Amino acid sequence: MARYAMVTDLRKCVACQACTVACSAEWAVPAGHARTHVRTTPLAGSFPNLTSSPVVGQCNQCDHPPCVEPCPSGATYQDAGGIVRVDTDVCIGCGFCVDACPYEARFINPRTKKVDKCDFCRPRIERGEVPACVATCTAHAKYFGDLEDRNSEVSRLVFRDGARRMETRTVAVGPNVFYLGRPEHLDLVLSSYPPRPPRLLTAGAAWTRLLKPLVLAMVGMTFAGQAVAFFTQLHKGEGDFEE
Amino acid sequence: MTRRRFLGTAATLGAGAVAVPAVASPTVHPPGWSGTARVEKIATTCEMCFWRCGVLASVEGGKVVRVEGNPDHPQNQGRLCARGNAGTGLLHDPDRLKTPLLRVGERGEGRFKPVSWDEALDFLAGRLVKLRDEHGPESVAFFPHGNGARFFATLMRAYGTPNSAEPSFAQCRGPREVGYSLTFGQGLGSPEPVDLEEARLVVLIGSHLGENVFTSQITAFATGLARGAKLIAVDPRFSLAASKADWWLPIRPGTDIALLLAWMNVLIAEDLCDKEYLKTYASGFDRLANHVREFTPEWAEAITEIPAAKIRETARAMGKAKPAVAVHPGRHVTWYGDDTQRARAMAILTALLGSWGRKGGIFLPTPIPRGSFDLPDFPEPKRGRADGAGKRFPLAIEELGVTNGLIDATLSGDPYPIKAWIVYGQNMLESIPQPARTVEAIGKLDLMVVVDVLPVEQIKYADLVLPEATYLERYDPPTIVESAKRPFIAVRSPACEPLYESKPGWWIAKELAKRLKLEAFFPWDTPEQHLEKILKPTGFGARELLNRGAVAFPGKPYLEDRAPVDRTFDTASGKIELYSEALAKIGADPLPRYTPPVEPPKGFFRLIYGRAPVHSFARSQNNEALDALMSENEVWLATSVARDWGVTEGQRIVLENVEGVKSSPVRVKVTEGIRSDCAYLVHGFGQQSRALRRAFGRGASDNSLMSRVSVDPLTGGTGMRVNFVRAARA
Ligand code: SF4
Ligand code: SF4
Ligand code: SF4
Repeated sequence: MARYAMVTDLRKCVACQACTVACSAEWAVPAGHARTHVRTTPLAGSFPNLTSSPVVGQCNQCDHPPCVEPCPSGATYQDAGGIVRVDTDVCIGCGFCVDACPYEARFINPRTKKVDKCDFCRPRIERGEVPACVATCTAHAKYFGDLEDRNSEVSRLVFRDGARRMETRTVAVGPNVFYLGRPEHLDLVLSSYPPRPPRLLTAGAAWTRLLKPLVLAMVGMTFAGQAVAFFTQLHKGEGDFEE
Repeated sequence: MTRRRFLGTAATLGAGAVAVPAVASPTVHPPGWSGTARVEKIATTCEMCFWRCGVLASVEGGKVVRVEGNPDHPQNQGRLCARGNAGTGLLHDPDRLKTPLLRVGERGEGRFKPVSWDEALDFLAGRLVKLRDEHGPESVAFFPHGNGARFFATLMRAYGTPNSAEPSFAQCRGPREVGYSLTFGQGLGSPEPVDLEEARLVVLIGSHLGENVFTSQITAFATGLARGAKLIAVDPRFSLAASKADWWLPIRPGTDIALLLAWMNVLIAEDLCDKEYLKTYASGFDRLANHVREFTPEWAEAITEIPAAKIRETARAMGKAKPAVAVHPGRHVTWYGDDTQRARAMAILTALLGSWGRKGGIFLPTPIPRGSFDLPDFPEPKRGRADGAGKRFPLAIEELGVTNGLIDATLSGDPYPIKAWIVYGQNMLESIPQPARTVEAIGKLDLMVVVDVLPVEQIKYADLVLPEATYLERYDPPTIVESAKRPFIAVRSPACEPLYESKPGWWIAKELAKRLKLEAFFPWDTPEQHLEKILKPTGFGARELLNRGAVAFPGKPYLEDRAPVDRTFDTASGKIELYSEALAKIGADPLPRYTPPVEPPKGFFRLIYGRAPVHSFARSQNNEALDALMSENEVWLATSVARDWGVTEGQRIVLENVEGVKSSPVRVKVTEGIRSDCAYLVHGFGQQSRALRRAFGRGASDNSLMSRVSVDPLTGGTGMRVNFVRAARA
């Protein structure tokens, strides 16, 4: 069994966004959305003593993915390599998982109307290639591999060089995207973009538990279209409720 | 498929259109395109900027669906930047020029009718003949940019005009090439051979690597940093590079020469130079030592506003890391009009550290063989160049020319009238400062021709517009890069047929040559024949290069790779000239000297500008994927300046320069990361071509605010950081 992981070295990353564009080109992600985002933290300090860091975010393929549980259709699941995946044939585009993700890694693809996100380029891995963002990274700042393999480069970077996870005491779901960097930069990244507590765990969880079997039943009865309409309705209702 | 069609274009009936295996084995499409259709990958060369990385274009059913880096290319080794990855966006840009266009109505109205290629080329050839008969061939000026322009360059020389000038000289790296040539006997070329990956210390002076992205340069930069190189970033702005730096020196703009002189002062006073190297290779050390004695860090502190202690500390760091110190020579260096002297100062610093030709410093080009055609003699122009290269600008490099010199000549008719411009692959209204003068000069012309892919701003003023095929649809002359550790030859070849009525530059130039009876200057029928001839002495065949995209040769990048007799310098003395006799001879400073920059009037701030990683100058703003990442620029203002101006983050303001020229509205970015004596814009936005539907009017054009230039008397380079802005009163 593999446990795939990504390491981004923020000392090398220059925030060039080659990864973002390569990923979007590879997976035909419509402009305006992306599976991986590059940001630069706000400046800390005051002139001329300043600190900031680029950071690259994507789905973290978490060990305990909070997006799986709220998925009413069972489309979101964790595969044998630890990769969190979306079966787009089953996804109904309700977006519960989008709300649940602490890393804002998911979005509704406006072309497919299904949820979309990074899957570590699963099809490329299966062809023996590295993910598209790793292949193109101008700074050679991204590393991909299997943590189960103690000789892999990512194992070395994680277990020997201490690449860090972006988690906090309140949100610790075991992300498999790691970062290397100057400690002050990593701290700044984490404080600028802390993982957000999953939104659906309270009210949402209740909805989910209540409705999941219903939806499955409906999908089973090939009333998928109605189910989608039903859920779209519900989701809107939920949004209103929250505001 | 496409490859075969391309190779066979004229030899359709010929013997040898052999099927060519694609470089990479066909792959299965990832989902998101179209199921499991098979695609073929064509190796070619990127032109989203001028760096020329190797790409593999995936072609499915004759359509390019994706470009990726070519892993076998010696330069980028499989990597592409954001723009390179967005290449299909240019190919499929719905706003592309689709047919030749002939002006109807007044010039400047921008009204055209589509015409056939025959009509367009007959018209142009007819006009060129008439101009040659009535005003002499010198009355036609050519403004090229990029590889593809070379066929036109041949055509223009054959036609008989010496007047050709690229903005890459007088608006970019000209003074650098000249300053380094004066010192080392050779310029840097492109890509600039800075050994960033082996450096122990990198010195960036205004270079904002990271925001300024060229794939392989970023790879080398990041690799060097990861290996522990220290970094000094001299920049009035807290750039991405500054955020990685061990020393950020927020210098007062325009005072870099003072800092460089003070560094030399410390290196010499504290005996930190590479003495052995200087003794072997350099001349003029004593004169230099005398010259810089008075330029102490304390003297420089008062000018640069960098504390003397920091100047000493950074100089010592250089002394410690020598010779593996990469003083990046910069690329766009036309800032204050004393740019050749600033380049000289950087070259001298490099020499003092023993870094030229040394690992971790600046590496050396290795000549590689190339073939050429036996062309007829080019006609000798009766009148000399009109741009002042070699005369008014004594050190300008004639092959590159002085664009602004040609514009001056067009406006004044001096030394003789210029009647026509042919502009290839560039948007002069964004690439050359003082755009109002450019427009005025166009008004003096009988003929204005634009060859381009997109309807850039200046087509509005054109009489004839010729739609060129994009880089993914055409063959260009091979790229021959000697200034690489592994020098290489690479090719750009079509991955698909040209869309619409667009045509490759080689075809346009050749068809014009036919009509001008200059065919003898194009003694080949197909691009493959052209390529074959150039490759002849290399031992590689055209077919092999087309399959692989690039072929590399062994390099000798360091002095130590060469026999002692080959370690010479192409200067008058054969040595590195710290003191320049050549400059003394023409009455210029033989040793660099600090001259204070022009100061802003009260209430105005210096306008500085730079690049963003997802855009290439003003060329990429209409690209869907890149526009989605950055659709407009922002004006960076220091917190205190924003307070004084009474503006807040995100607010849209209009900038106004001293001459009263106003920008289009631009968003304010309030930041601690810039000095309070300047304002910063990313270049290339605020474009005024309505035909570019995405790019139109987004953000502010820095170039439109450049009403002034400070011209470098040695090279003609236009110093552009002499413009001042404030928020326009509503
Ligand atoms: S691993 Fe693949 S899907 Fe994920 S961000 Fe990188 S390119 Fe995109
Ligand atoms: S491609 Fe590499 S260097 Fe560029 S933003 Fe992505 S991770 Fe950073
Ligand atoms: S640096 Fe980017 S745009 Fe320029 S040639 Fe390379 S990939 Fe293309």
